[in-house]
Amino acid sequence: MNSFLRKNIVMLVTVLVMAVFLTAAAQGMEKKDFVITLLRGLAVGSITFLVASGFSLIFGLLDVLNLAHGTLFMIGAYMGWTVVVRPDTFVDLLTPLALIVSGFALGDVYPLLASRIRLGLSMKRILPWALILVSILLFGWILPRFPIAIWDVENYAQSPVTFSFMADSGARLPVMPAAFTEVTMPSAFIGLLLASIIGAFGISLFDNSPRTVRLSWKNFISIAIALIIAVVGVAFNDAMTTFLYGLSSNWLFFVAVLVATLSGVALGGVMEATLIRPLYSRPIYQLMLTLGMSAIGIEMVRVIWGRPEFVMPKPAFFNGTGGACPATNFADWWANNCSTILLLDGRVRVYNEIFIPIVGLVVLISIWILLQRTRLGMIIRAGVQDSQMVEALGINVRRVFTMVFALGVGLASLGGVLAAPSMGLSNLMGESLLLNALIALAIGGLTSYPGAALGSVIVGMIQQFIIKYGQIGIAIPFTEIIFKPTPPLVPASTVMLMVIILLLLPNGLLGKKE
Amino acid sequence: MKNFLISHRGSFLTLLLLILLPFIVGLFNGASPADVFVNGNGQSKFIQGLAIEIFILTIYALSFDVIFGITGLLSFGHSMFFAVGAYLTGIAIKSFGLSLPATLGWLVVASVVQALLFGLVLPRVKGITFALVTLGLGSVFHILVMSSEFGEYTGADVGLQGVIVPAFISPANERLRFYFMALTVMVLIYLLYQRFVNSPTGRVCVAIRENEGRAQMLGYNTFYFKLAALLLSSLTAALAGFLHTLYQPIVSPNTAGLGYTVAALLILLIGGVGTLNGAFVGAIVFRLLDYGLRRYIGESASFINGAIYVLFVLFIPYGIVGTWRLKSLQIKQGWERLLAKFNK
Repeated sequence: MNSFLRKNIVMLVTVLVMAVFLTAAAQGMEKKDFVITLLRGLAVGSITFLVASGFSLIFGLLDVLNLAHGTLFMIGAYMGWTVVVRPDTFVDLLTPLALIVSGFALGDVYPLLASRIRLGLSMKRILPWALILVSILLFGWILPRFPIAIWDVENYAQSPVTFSFMADSGARLPVMPAAFTEVTMPSAFIGLLLASIIGAFGISLFDNSPRTVRLSWKNFISIAIALIIAVVGVAFNDAMTTFLYGLSSNWLFFVAVLVATLSGVALGGVMEATLIRPLYSRPIYQLMLTLGMSAIGIEMVRVIWGRPEFVMPKPAFFNGTGGACPATNFADWWANNCSTILLLDGRVRVYNEIFIPIVGLVVLISIWILLQRTRLGMIIRAGVQDSQMVEALGINVRRVFTMVFALGVGLASLGGVLAAPSMGLSNLMGESLLLNALIALAIGGLTSYPGAALGSVIVGMIQQFIIKYGQIGIAIPFTEIIFKPTPPLVPASTVMLMVIILLLLPNGLLGKKE
Repeated sequence: MKNFLISHRGSFLTLLLLILLPFIVGLFNGASPADVFVNGNGQSKFIQGLAIEIFILTIYALSFDVIFGITGLLSFGHSMFFAVGAYLTGIAIKSFGLSLPATLGWLVVASVVQALLFGLVLPRVKGITFALVTLGLGSVFHILVMSSEFGEYTGADVGLQGVIVPAFISPANERLRFYFMALTVMVLIYLLYQRFVNSPTGRVCVAIRENEGRAQMLGYNTFYFKLAALLLSSLTAALAGFLHTLYQPIVSPNTAGLGYTVAALLILLIGGVGTLNGAFVGAIVFRLLDYGLRRYIGESASFINGAIYVLFVLFIPYGIVGTWRLKSLQIKQGWERLLAKFNK
């Protein structure tokens, strides 16, 4: 008992402080406001947790502070929006994207190929650059000629804002016909595949570390998947478009979540393999690299989706209106799919305040099971402790690195697509969320998985309660003054909390002491 | 003496070029040195303006180099050092009507205080945690600057405007004087930094960057050395902020944001981290690139900036000056071989 107290003293004190804080907060407002604010805090906490947990896994295992994580979260949101609002664009994009990734999916084959080629010293230096140049030229020539039905940021009638407005009001979307004009389909297909393989080979040549590679059929699984996707994308283009347009918005949303998460996983894998991997010996440069990646990502989103903010339509499952709404209990809600539900006479938005926390909880538990109960989780936990030792035991840590990076980015993308209907899409959503996630992690402990969850919930709660008190004001005891926290206090309060906690406990609440 | 001149010929040539720059540009544009001297409008005045911005950026980047490149502390709240200088100068002149020397006096006090604030954190947190704590401190300051409560003084999210600069160094009418003032300050700061890095204190700072545990084992209390670097950095950055307020008609709240710290990082990365010279080279490249990209490409400039950032990290990690120092012997040899081939 005594040792339990000593071990978990920080945890207990935190829970105690939280309880005191919550009861104090409950005194100042009506019960329904309290419940709603609590749920909102949980919702913000869940989104923050999805970003923070990936960030913490990556930092724990790879020692990479991935400052581009917020941008990847944002890209996830935009990908999801594309699937929901413009399925035709998504289907058209499938083939080129799969082809671009396919070359990089061949990772381990290249060192084998490179070891077969004997070249002079000067040729060895020039070759990678020449290959990359050829690949970029090929991409630059073919990609603009690949037919993609896309919106037009410049033209307001065809801008993303208009499309999402139309989708929100349930209007059918115009399907723009697309056809190959200047290049034929097979040549474009093969050209892109070739460009991708050449580029990936060129990049792999920079890595000179000697490796022994044994080829087996496993090395070709990922390229086979990419190629199948590409072929299906070309062959069944129209069929898939009509199919997606015919889907109900619930299923479409489900597809969007799936696509956003998977594209996040693919993006993360490619990013780790090409950009992060050469820099493991220079950690500070990795940090700077991710900063640069974040700037590039934001700018790309601006170019492709434009600067104005817009909202992704909610699936019909959570968007019902009419005479029966708001629902009074869950059975009632299930029957009518109301967008709001009455809880203690307060209106709670089902998607924002109930669905998102549930998803957050599911992810929390499933990642927890992955970490604690599987072999991969065991390797990850061991790698967080001492990755060199794990490598010495004969486990391919590099591959685990790539997988964890992909998993982390996938989680961030999942957070993005879930947040899109409630938060809306903007160019800056990633940065503010990254700051939140950083604060949450610093509070909870940078490499601690439960710490990420605890920190996220704390950050979400504090922000939402301060926002709520900004509306109703706090009556300061023994005085007549009513203090209303202003909007700047919302981020400032959590930042100050982070600074204080880091000064008291440099490893965060649940972080391990070194 | 002669050896000294020869071994530093690059620095002297650069200095000479910078002194003559306004007049040379004037001559190319058909304005006589006398015209330039009385601040006639023209290309020369424009180039002077650009150069002044580069000098200010150099001073700012130098102040980051001393804590990041020399001492090895990664601070993400560095823009706060700059913004405190900039805002304090503006508020002191505009709202309190202080003279320039009095303003400078207050700046010294403020920058010592904020360096001590950062120093308070130093013994407790290291590495990434230090970066996070300083990021937190910096963003609190950013939020304060942006908040409407202090809008009367700081101008909230619009920025601080309407600072009346004393007529004798007004950047509009006496730009040449301002140019030489900024140049002098930059050169003096550079010399001070050169002296600092080569002093015993600076040597210990380098040792802390290389291996803090070892420096401690040798009996140095590393805390004091880190604090000294922070103090120096804070004072210099505040000075850069001071010049920034005098030169720019508006102090944007962005100067307090994370983006401005990243700008300093980018300048150092381009020029070479921990090289001092690199700050100047990096500032030139950074400012001219930014200017050129915004002029010819427009809004997507930060995409190219980010791409350059990534390319530098991947392929030229030591920056221009750092790579030059590493490879200068090879380049010289290659050059001689090339000459020998032609002479044959």
